[in-house]
Amino acid sequence: MDALLEYTWVVVALPLLSAVLITAVGKQLPGKGSEIGIAALGLSWLLAIGIAWQTFVASPVEPLERSVDWTPLGGGFVFELGMLVDGLTAVMLLLVTTVSFMVHVYSREYMQGEPRYTYFFAMLGLFTFSMLLLVVANNLLLAVIGWELVGLCSYLLIGFYWEGKSNQDAGNKAFLTTKFGDVGLIVGVIVLSAGMFGLTDTPFNILEINEAAVAGQLSTTTIVLGMLLIFLGCMSKSGQMPLHVWLPDAMAGPTPVSALIHAATMVTAGVFLLARLYPVVAQNQAVMATIAIFGVLTLFFGGLLALVQDDLKKILAYSTISQLGYMVAAIGVGGYAASIFHLFTHGFFKALLFLGAGSLIHAVHSNNISDMGGMAKAMPHTFWTFIVGSLALAGFPLTAGFFSKDEILIAGEIWAGAGFFTGSLVYWVGLAAAFVTTFYMARACFLIFAGENRSHHTPHESGKLMLAPLMVLAVLSVAAGYLLSPFSPEQPNFETWLATPLLPAETTFPFTDEGTAAASGLVGDGVLAAGTSLAAAGDGPVKVLHGVPTWHPDLLAIVLVLFSLAVFLAYRFYGKGLPERDPTLSMGRFTDVLVAKYGFDDFGYRYIVVPVRDKLSAAATYSSNVLIDGMVAGVGRATKNAAMTTYRVVDQQVIDGGINGAAFSAAWWSDKLKRIQSGDVQKYAGVLVAGTILLVLAFAAAR
Amino acid sequence: MSPIGPLLLAAFLFSAGVYGVIARRNAVLVLISVELMLNAVNINLVTFQNLLFPGDPAVTGQMFALFIIGVAAAEVGVGLAIVFNMFRNRASVDVDDADLMRW
Repeated sequence: MDALLEYTWVVVALPLLSAVLITAVGKQLPGKGSEIGIAALGLSWLLAIGIAWQTFVASPVEPLERSVDWTPLGGGFVFELGMLVDGLTAVMLLLVTTVSFMVHVYSREYMQGEPRYTYFFAMLGLFTFSMLLLVVANNLLLAVIGWELVGLCSYLLIGFYWEGKSNQDAGNKAFLTTKFGDVGLIVGVIVLSAGMFGLTDTPFNILEINEAAVAGQLSTTTIVLGMLLIFLGCMSKSGQMPLHVWLPDAMAGPTPVSALIHAATMVTAGVFLLARLYPVVAQNQAVMATIAIFGVLTLFFGGLLALVQDDLKKILAYSTISQLGYMVAAIGVGGYAASIFHLFTHGFFKALLFLGAGSLIHAVHSNNISDMGGMAKAMPHTFWTFIVGSLALAGFPLTAGFFSKDEILIAGEIWAGAGFFTGSLVYWVGLAAAFVTTFYMARACFLIFAGENRSHHTPHESGKLMLAPLMVLAVLSVAAGYLLSPFSPEQPNFETWLATPLLPAETTFPFTDEGTAAASGLVGDGVLAAGTSLAAAGDGPVKVLHGVPTWHPDLLAIVLVLFSLAVFLAYRFYGKGLPERDPTLSMGRFTDVLVAKYGFDDFGYRYIVVPVRDKLSAAATYSSNVLIDGMVAGVGRATKNAAMTTYRVVDQQVIDGGINGAAFSAAWWSDKLKRIQSGDVQKYAGVLVAGTILLVLAFAAAR
Repeated sequence: MSPIGPLLLAAFLFSAGVYGVIARRNAVLVLISVELMLNAVNINLVTFQNLLFPGDPAVTGQMFALFIIGVAAAEVGVGLAIVFNMFRNRASVDVDDADLMRW
């Protein structure tokens, strides 16, 4: 069965190949490159389905790791180029390729007639490659490479319509905000790996880090510092407050991009990374509490912001932030499987909602729900798929969103039972946010589909290429939930799928008291994401966190009441079209706060953007242009002067002078001496005689 | 017989010869001055033979004088040939004009 898993790299390579091919020859093809993208992603998708199936039916599986040494890092450390295939990887592969394939198909029609059509498909391919690279990476450095590449693609695609200044600004904002977190990420990765030095030659290897953390070989300082810094990266990428500010602005990109990147896949990268390093996270209570608190803040306050939005894509963006908050909070309360389950289902229904929104926007040429209305009749297929997506997002019973969100709330409840207040926080705030979610989605649905058409266009149903992805995703938005529901078998289900046999049996969180943990159900095989009892699986199925979910009638009742109440309220306000005064916009100071988005944007602009732009960058420019350039230029000038002096003094005067002097003096002396040879023989004879006389006198005197 | 007279004569002849060689411009006269010096040497040779070895049957000094007379004749032949050629080429026998071998 490993045979297919060995080819996981092909899933990653195909989108890259597609991006390269589209760039090279896309413009010459009849479909302008879109057919290459769709074909490559289709193949990738089929392969991912195969991989997912193999890991699922046999779950939990041993992780398959294949790597080649890419380049030495010095000091005996090796940078690997490798893949790690386990259940978590397979889940992400399936999600990413599915959504990406659907978005490719959808974009073929949606982007028709847009400028840079070929470029768009090349970018989609590149993005998919980057995300898959991040997902299959077997070491943190490779993951960081994928992480930065998805950030780049996100930036390029947000600024896709770069003719507009606001789109450029949105791209810059997204890039710079996530870059802020990326600094934390890379430092965190280094901190975490620094703890691995001396233990292994490959300190960045994810499996080895996880094993070392569980074996207690990493110091608390390493874990806390490293994971909090990595969490900073996750916060920026996964839109956790207060670093969520870029995500609503990112809706400036084309709608399929919003669906693929800013709803279903890229923004979940942070959650994925936390899940990947979950055994490390689970070592420390402070880390988990921090993660849970940021998640709770985000899931509630992010959702509230959606109430006052008129732009459909922004409503969905804020709901994405809120749902990401659920996922992060779930990680913080020990709901590893719940978090990834929600990530998985959310990917489908949020992609569905965005693609549906794209279909609506296509029809009425406006993003604003106040310009829509009465769309149910004109666009029946968009209507029912959108409703399915909304129900899943709102957590209506028996949809995927219901099962996954319930898992998170139950995880919170169990966590609370073990004596951690963050557990109850997640439970109750999560319920309140579910009410808010239901209300704003109902508001959007009523305003879009009910009442009279307020747009200035005659809406028309979209074509087949746009509707088919909607329908596939609508089916998945419901069906995905049955992977981990009271209806699913004990094994395999989603939880065993994610489990990896990494940890010893009977593990629990190291900081919990054993008695309490046992009473609350926190002890058990594979609490830490591990189907530990692979060895003990002789009799009966593998048990994981809480086995097959059971019905929770109390929770079900609360959810149903909240749902009905929210829909009823929304119907009262919006059931008959756009009211004169929108109730969500008439809540006095509360509305003001929400419209101002809690002031994060203003704060960021006033206290970060402006000082950075006016002071810091000016200072940086000064230090660069005046100080550093001055130093460099000074050194250059000094060198040049020294060289000129050397030339003039040493070369021209000393050396040349010596040589010329020797020559000139020889010439001068020879000019004088040559006069002796006058050619006058008589003079020679006279000198000869004089010399003889002198010699005679000298000898005479010497006697 | 006292050697004073012949030695003084030889000294005078030699000095006159040296003067002539150094000071005269006419190449013929220079040659004649050389002959004077050679003859001064001849006188000295004969004088010292008679002064130092009187009655010796081996008359080395006289023999040398004879050789020198022969050599002087040959030398005059060569020298006059040079002077003759010089005159032909330059229409002059002034030795100051014969300064080609100079710097």
